Amino acid sequence: MRYVVGYTANARGHDAVHLAVAMARNHDVSLDLVLVIPEDSPFNAVYPPETGYNDILNEQAQRWLDEGLALVPADITARAHIRRGDSEAQTLIDVAVEMDAAALVIGATNGGLFKRFTIGSVASSLLHSSPVPVALAPHGYQRTEPITRLSCGFGTRPGADELLDVAVESARDRGLPLRLVSLLALDGGNSPGLADAAWVHAADRLAAVGGSAAETPEPEIVVAQGRTIEEAVDRLDWEDGEILLIGSSRLAQHRATFLGSTANRILRALPVPMIVVPRDYTRQSS
Amino acid sequence: MSTAPKTVQSKETSSLSEKGLKAGSVGLIGAVVIGVSCIAPAYTLTAALGPTVSEVGVHLPAIFLVGFIPMLLVALGYRELNNAMPDAGTSFTWATRAFGPWIGWMGGWGLIAATIIVLSNLAAVAVDFFYLMLAQIFSNPELGELSKILPLNIATTLVFIALACWISYRGMETTKGVQYVLVAFQLLVLGWFAVSAFVHVSNGTAFDATAISPDWFNPFAVDSFSSFAAGVSLSIFIYWGWDVTLTMNEETKNPEKTPGRAATITVLVIVIIYMTVALATLSFAGVGETGLGAGNPENQSSIFAVLAGPVMGPFAILMSLAILSSSAASLQSTFVSPARTMLAMGHYRAISPKFGKISPTYKSPSFATIAAAIAAAGFYVITRTVSENALWDTITALGMMICFYYGITALACVWFFRASAFSSARAFFFKFLAPLLGGVILLVMFVKTAMDSMDPEYGSGSSVGGVGLVFVLGMGVILLGVVVMLVMYRLRPEFFKGKVL
Repeated sequence: MRYVVGYTANARGHDAVHLAVAMARNHDVSLDLVLVIPEDSPFNAVYPPETGYNDILNEQAQRWLDEGLALVPADITARAHIRRGDSEAQTLIDVAVEMDAAALVIGATNGGLFKRFTIGSVASSLLHSSPVPVALAPHGYQRTEPITRLSCGFGTRPGADELLDVAVESARDRGLPLRLVSLLALDGGNSPGLADAAWVHAADRLAAVGGSAAETPEPEIVVAQGRTIEEAVDRLDWEDGEILLIGSSRLAQHRATFLGSTANRILRALPVPMIVVPRDYTRQSS
Repeated sequence: MSTAPKTVQSKETSSLSEKGLKAGSVGLIGAVVIGVSCIAPAYTLTAALGPTVSEVGVHLPAIFLVGFIPMLLVALGYRELNNAMPDAGTSFTWATRAFGPWIGWMGGWGLIAATIIVLSNLAAVAVDFFYLMLAQIFSNPELGELSKILPLNIATTLVFIALACWISYRGMETTKGVQYVLVAFQLLVLGWFAVSAFVHVSNGTAFDATAISPDWFNPFAVDSFSSFAAGVSLSIFIYWGWDVTLTMNEETKNPEKTPGRAATITVLVIVIIYMTVALATLSFAGVGETGLGAGNPENQSSIFAVLAGPVMGPFAILMSLAILSSSAASLQSTFVSPARTMLAMGHYRAISPKFGKISPTYKSPSFATIAAAIAAAGFYVITRTVSENALWDTITALGMMICFYYGITALACVWFFRASAFSSARAFFFKFLAPLLGGVILLVMFVKTAMDSMDPEYGSGSSVGGVGLVFVLGMGVILLGVVVMLVMYRLRPEFFKGKVL
């Protein structure tokens, strides 16, 4: 399996490489660091004309990628690529599709002052159109040890079952404990009855997903509760090595991501990395 | 299992031209659009028509035609150098390779200075027409007068420069569609202006109806060599940008034929529009020094700001929009050039390597782009504060600066190719004769204009300490270059010892 890492030579790119390394460690995965250089529009003609700028830019890109590769420990295979494209997000998607990548890993932002995740424009476009899962590293993500637990946030919306499938299988393949986070109670306030209902719903769904879960330890089920989504996220306990899997909104096109408003608010409060899974996504088996 | 990390140049790169543009993406019409947009005729006419009339009067059409000749000759040499040594430093690199680091450094400085001056002029013209357009939208002439309030004018211009710098830094670019619309709109509005002016002339409602005479096309009828030289260095400016089509290559659909054809069509389009507008302006307004006359110093900094209203009536707002949009688009794209030249100079250690920094996020020259903005802002603030007519003086100084660095570039071509110049008739013409003639003409124009401009009455008549402001600006910038060069020699001698290039 391969992960495509959207690399930039700044904190955002470093966060992405760290997360990709952490994710690759549970698995036989190789990394492809991709640096996107903007493609000049000939209609924005540079005058007086010059031609060699491109060489200087390429040279710089090579140096940046060498720095990026240096962040990857020796036990993980990594390659680096320079690509040119009008839009960084679209170019990354094209590369991911072309390489048949299992995920696209990017850093969320350069520097959110107040929030853990402030979504940069590239991340934002990816989260609204990627056909492969997008893993987002929070600002300042340093950890490169293996992932220790997989959480999966889900509600009642269409697509929840497919997402659970993906979560159960991923956890099994990686030998990770799975935690299901029901978001059901978030819509209706803080009543204890609702929390119970959410728990029952989660257990139901899990049973429906089926026997494949049998070989792994029973998933933990928690119900996210709070007056606001942010509060609910804060009240859950998160392990350092945890990662949250979340589905796309109903607005997503078939086989594409679309970060819904709930997911967006979760993202802003979340202290750990998150993977957004496209709608109707079927996992690559390794 | 681990393999040695290695960087793979992706295969996509091969479908790109040397410039990093998509290969085969520009057709003939596209190339002409790019050429016209680089010239930005609505902007060049409003900026240069007045100052040129003040030098050569009714012989404006002749000078506009003659001005193209040195441009063409130098551009041919430029193309040869560009094919032989494609490099981001252009004039800087070529002159360094031909004449060594000192002259090369000054060539690079001249190129940067010319683009910095044009940036400040573009921003100022955009600001004038911005306020004029506000006045036209709200039918309130007082709004147009706002651009004459010095602090407000300077503040607005700085905002425009900062915006263009930010857009350029972020790597945002004008797309094909926008460029087509901008160019078509400019040509349409200039045509409209010319037709309306001729209609006024035939209806007898023109300000100073003047009959067109064949003498207007005779460059030898210009009364003095001083006027002639000044006129030619101004008209170099109006063709500056044309040669971009000649340097196009793999990005065109047919690299063999498109660039040459596009250059020919572009210059035809431009000459037709310049001639039509020049004749229309002279016929409508004459060269008188009062009222709307094109010879009135009050009108010369921005002729369309004054004439569009009387000529086009309520549709004058279209002229404001055309000039505002074209100068704003040029402002943004022109930022790229000094930034990349400075980047190349930083890269070759001719100036501080800080200039060679590339933004990791936007992959554009970071330090150099901001430096270009600060220099353009600084130049504008100084000119505006000391000059009665900053636009006029900057355009004249710009003409000088273009003559300077283009002259050096042309002679660099002659010297660089001296060994192969006599190998064939083609090489003799393109690598020797054309650039030699062009370079000599431009440097003569440069020296003559520089000497004349010492006169405090030169140009708009602004002066500093009894010396003409144009001289102070032009020579000041070049002397500053010499000083900076000597400082750089002390700080980083390796470039000047010829160890880098």
